[in-house]
Amino acid sequence: MTSRRDLLKSAVLGGGATVVAATALGSLGPEAAFAETAYDAEPGAPDPDFAEGRIRTIKDDTLLVLGSNMVFHTIRIVNGTSLWKLGPVPFEAAKPGDGLYARGVRMPDGMLAAESVWLNIVNIKGHIKNITDGKLHLDHHGKEVLCHVVPGKSVAIQAQAPPTADLSMLKVSQHVQILGAWRPDTNEVDIATVFSPH
Amino acid sequence: MHGIAASQPYVLAFFLGWAGLLKLFSRRTRAQAGQTALARLVGAARAVPALVAVGLVEVAVAAALVLPPYSAAEGAAAAVLAAGFLAYLGYAHVAAPTSSCGCLGAHSRPADRRGFGRAGLLLAAGLLSMTAGPHPPVAALVVVEVVILLALSAELDRYWLTPSRRFLVRMRGPLSVPPPGDVPLETSLRLLYLSPAYCSASSRLSSDIRETWDEDGTRFVVYGAGARTAVFAVPLTGDDPSAVRVALVEEPAPA
Repeated sequence: MTSRRDLLKSAVLGGGATVVAATALGSLGPEAAFAETAYDAEPGAPDPDFAEGRIRTIKDDTLLVLGSNMVFHTIRIVNGTSLWKLGPVPFEAAKPGDGLYARGVRMPDGMLAAESVWLNIVNIKGHIKNITDGKLHLDHHGKEVLCHVVPGKSVAIQAQAPPTADLSMLKVSQHVQILGAWRPDTNEVDIATVFSPH
Repeated sequence: MHGIAASQPYVLAFFLGWAGLLKLFSRRTRAQAGQTALARLVGAARAVPALVAVGLVEVAVAAALVLPPYSAAEGAAAAVLAAGFLAYLGYAHVAAPTSSCGCLGAHSRPADRRGFGRAGLLLAAGLLSMTAGPHPPVAALVVVEVVILLALSAELDRYWLTPSRRFLVRMRGPLSVPPPGDVPLETSLRLLYLSPAYCSASSRLSSDIRETWDEDGTRFVVYGAGARTAVFAVPLTGDDPSAVRVALVEEPAPA
């Protein structure tokens, strides 16, 4: 692991130019990249390279996921797959019961080879009913969602300002949007980002 | 016991009178009639006449309750009205769970436990007032009951509950500033997204963040880029996006 990180580190810092590898690996311009990725989903049809649902079982590197439309997906986690659960996490963090969104490449056998997996990610809007120790009580369409501030992870973005770990500017009764990780089968969420308009 | 029962007509009269007057004279309440469960019950076109009719009945019952002589029939009328509220809330909860009840002025909150508690309390007061005899009311009890009813009114939260919670939050600081040191990943990512380095490489990225680590004041963020790996170096201090660097590396996926 260390040697691999050293390799990546020397690659990114060794050159000295802001953007390296432009010549070695071809153009970094958007036209080259768009040429590679043809988007072949039919209009109105489900995107074949996307899956959502909740994890039923985990076997080796394969997740069996039941979609909200009762369709089963088999999702393969490979070495290059990114996993998110309130931040980048290793594969071991995925647990049965977790909700997920996955994007990747559909294999001929129907399995989705995942490039990115987001576990329990939620994006909710509401207004703050109350603030207690490290918790926001969010009123989301009349239902209370308890949002936990996670030290070192949760940030607030106020208007267009840079993100800050200081959430003390949040006020009772103001409207916010919260990006976070749901705690499965509860009405609780760990906060990744709180967006507040003012 | 007699005093308790004799106090109820005053509690009911205060509450019904207030609710009725609000329905009759508050322009805002009538403007929002279309969003209440009443509109669902009687149809949107008849929501305002229905609201006014309910207001008239409430004011009439309140006036009858508070004007002497008192008769048990007046208490019964109030109890029937309260039972009607409870039934209406039950209907609203089932048929239009996102609509507000429109009971006491305009607000956008749907009927919840407090609304049911308030209607239940009014019903109990109505039933109790049917047994009232010619006894003087207990002033303290009237005040306490009215305060409880007001506390159960979500319509009034913005006048006392929200300010008091704001005051407590300001006093206690439950989201106090964390000790400096750890830079949250989101802060680095914001800088990353603004950087020319990310703009030049983003169209090649095929995954979200695979791994990240901090070393020598720099945060390294690794993405998948097709068969390759994109590694970004984001300075942990400073806010200059042009200081972010990127490299695309031909390397096997991490073991």
